[in-house]
Amino acid sequence: MDVAIPLDLWEGDSQGVVTTWLFDDGATVADGDVVAEVMIEKVQHEIAAPAGGTLHIDKQVDDVIQKGDIIGTIDGG
Amino acid sequence: MQPGPEQKRWMYETMLLSRRFEEAIEKIYLEGKQPKFDMAAGPIPGEMHLSNGQEPCAVGVIAHLEEFDTVTATHRPHHQAIAKGVDLREMAAEIFGKRTGLSGGRGGHMHLFDPRVHFACAGIIAQGMGPALGAALSRKLQEKPGIAVAFIGEGAVNQGAFHETLNLAALWHLPLVVVVEDNAWAISVAKKDSTAVAHNDVRAAAYGMPGHYVAANDPIAVYDVAGEAVARAREGGGPTLIEIETDRLAGHFMGDAEQYRPKGEKERLFARDPIPHLRDQMLAAGELDDDEVAAIEARVAAKIDDAITFARQSAYPDPTDALTRVFHPVD
Amino acid sequence: MSEETQASGRKLTIAKAMAEAIAQEMRIDPTVFVMGEDIAALGGVFGNTQGLLDEFGSVRIRDTPISETAFMGAATGAAMDGMRPVVELMFVDFMGVCFDAIYNCMAKNTYFSGGTVKVPVVLITATGGGYSDAGQHSQCLYGSFAHLPGMKVVSPSNAYDAKGLMTAAIRDDNPVIYMFHKGLQGMGWLGTEPGAIVPVPKDSYTVPIGKAAVVREGADVTIVGLAKGVHNGLRAADQLADQGVSAEVIDLRSLVPLDRDTVLESVAKTGRLIVVDEDYKSFGVSGEIIATVAEHDLGMLKARPQRVAYPDVPIPYSRPLEQFCLPNADKIVAAFDAMRA
Repeated sequence: MDVAIPLDLWEGDSQGVVTTWLFDDGATVADGDVVAEVMIEKVQHEIAAPAGGTLHIDKQVDDVIQKGDIIGTIDGG
Repeated sequence: MQPGPEQKRWMYETMLLSRRFEEAIEKIYLEGKQPKFDMAAGPIPGEMHLSNGQEPCAVGVIAHLEEFDTVTATHRPHHQAIAKGVDLREMAAEIFGKRTGLSGGRGGHMHLFDPRVHFACAGIIAQGMGPALGAALSRKLQEKPGIAVAFIGEGAVNQGAFHETLNLAALWHLPLVVVVEDNAWAISVAKKDSTAVAHNDVRAAAYGMPGHYVAANDPIAVYDVAGEAVARAREGGGPTLIEIETDRLAGHFMGDAEQYRPKGEKERLFARDPIPHLRDQMLAAGELDDDEVAAIEARVAAKIDDAITFARQSAYPDPTDALTRVFHPVD
Repeated sequence: MSEETQASGRKLTIAKAMAEAIAQEMRIDPTVFVMGEDIAALGGVFGNTQGLLDEFGSVRIRDTPISETAFMGAATGAAMDGMRPVVELMFVDFMGVCFDAIYNCMAKNTYFSGGTVKVPVVLITATGGGYSDAGQHSQCLYGSFAHLPGMKVVSPSNAYDAKGLMTAAIRDDNPVIYMFHKGLQGMGWLGTEPGAIVPVPKDSYTVPIGKAAVVREGADVTIVGLAKGVHNGLRAADQLADQGVSAEVIDLRSLVPLDRDTVLESVAKTGRLIVVDEDYKSFGVSGEIIATVAEHDLGMLKARPQRVAYPDVPIPYSRPLEQFCLPNADKIVAAFDAMRA
């Protein structure tokens, strides 16, 4: 399953960045775990795992993101 | 007390100068901070607190002041600094952290000092009240002309310094005017959730001085009330407290997402922007025509362009400047 | 760290670790409540009370007016009456407006009462600069608090310690000044210190107040630091390793009580001492660490001790000026070179 930036997470079309990954690449995560934080302008938003399983990180800290982007995936579980 | 035509024009042009300055700063502040909002990055690092919307509070009061009168201001100081006549180039350069800035880059946007026009500001809430009191005391002791005005936000009225300063100013019968810019928000906390009274003018009575509440963000209304207060101070009548209901069109600081503001509030505020309001009033009364409006806009744009260009082109200070100017005599 | 944490590998930022610790204590202890400016709906300007208002409501998570003297005094009074307040001083620089309530009241009432009264307050406050917030919003003031008797003082360098120290602080029956460095919080807009974002157990646990940690072992030089200084020390240790120098890095974690023994043990081993201190150089933490060694045994030192500390000037705004003043890894390495000379 994709770990995606929700399309309605912030107003407007500004870009943001990933500021934090709270799990390492390859870690086991549970459904609902907060796995990352992204920042748009000065506001941080939590990104939760949509399912349990093994996390694969695609976008690194400081990578630019916009709404709808996939920042990682979760498989297995 | 109504402003004469010259004063009205000064107020309009000064509000416009202030607003366009803030708009320029806002744009430049975001340079280097997108898409990643890194506060340390860009030509204007650190925090930025813009005064868009609050211009009437500055011009309505400072229209009555002379160069030798003292003004202290807050972390949101640009409109008061501009109205007081702080050198715009040196102010811009200071905000950019350049060697040519008011304090050579040591103070920055929250610590703008221009002793030539007796202006200073600071970032601690209510901190400017004591020094304004002191300036008023000093003129009285020296039997020299000059009053002092302390600008604060409505968040400051619950700080000890507010209460102590008011009492002492009244007790010592000093030429001090305290102006509260009530923009309804102290970061994320609304006035009604921080202050036990609806309007702070009522607190003046507790301290033995007159208090006024200006219900509209209107430079003419502010001019009227401030004129009385300034005259009283000059004539030896003692201090006055004024509270003005103003509008903060920007966030508390640049980057403030303002999620605490109710939906639709910002739109309502923009609809009653005081600057086009005054312009339209003056146009309708024949106090301005379209050509003059355009000329003012052009003059303002030129001043700002000049100041920003000066700031951009100025050199940064030598890093070792960090260690100098702590004490007098200065090197 | 438990196997459960290793397995889950869940990391936190210091901001989240603080909020988690406070929440976990509030769930089990109804006397814990939080007061401060913008700590409720906003979740704190530095993110350390995120989620608390939603879970606990506005009676126990209360925004205050800008009235530090009143609410710091109130924290003391409530604590003396059986509550366990967590009170926020938004920036440590604001201590001036309420310092009497802290150093002269909160810190002394236990003593004045001959120990019959407890003052279990946790005062959380943001420290540190590096992002041009200028002289009234960037200070550390470690020395100012540590110097005055009657209050414990802690400052975590990472999220694991942050949560454990917070839990310990809330359970401590004494006033604890919990200083968190803004650059370590994990707020992206203040930069990110990756070394501060570490695995944190989901369960409650404590980190002892008054105990330093050796975060990197070494034989040639002891680098002592606090909060951000620890990360600078670790970076310097990496650079020194390239030169074949093995540096031991100590994270003080607490200033009061000060774990002098851990410092002394390390310097006895290495013979060389560098103290990293983002607070003003004179009359503070760096001098205290050096005095501790000198008083104990001057003979331990093979070289003059070095301080990499903030100069005794108000913190300047402009970036080149501020960066000139701040401690960093290069300065620590240069300090080691100075000892060699």
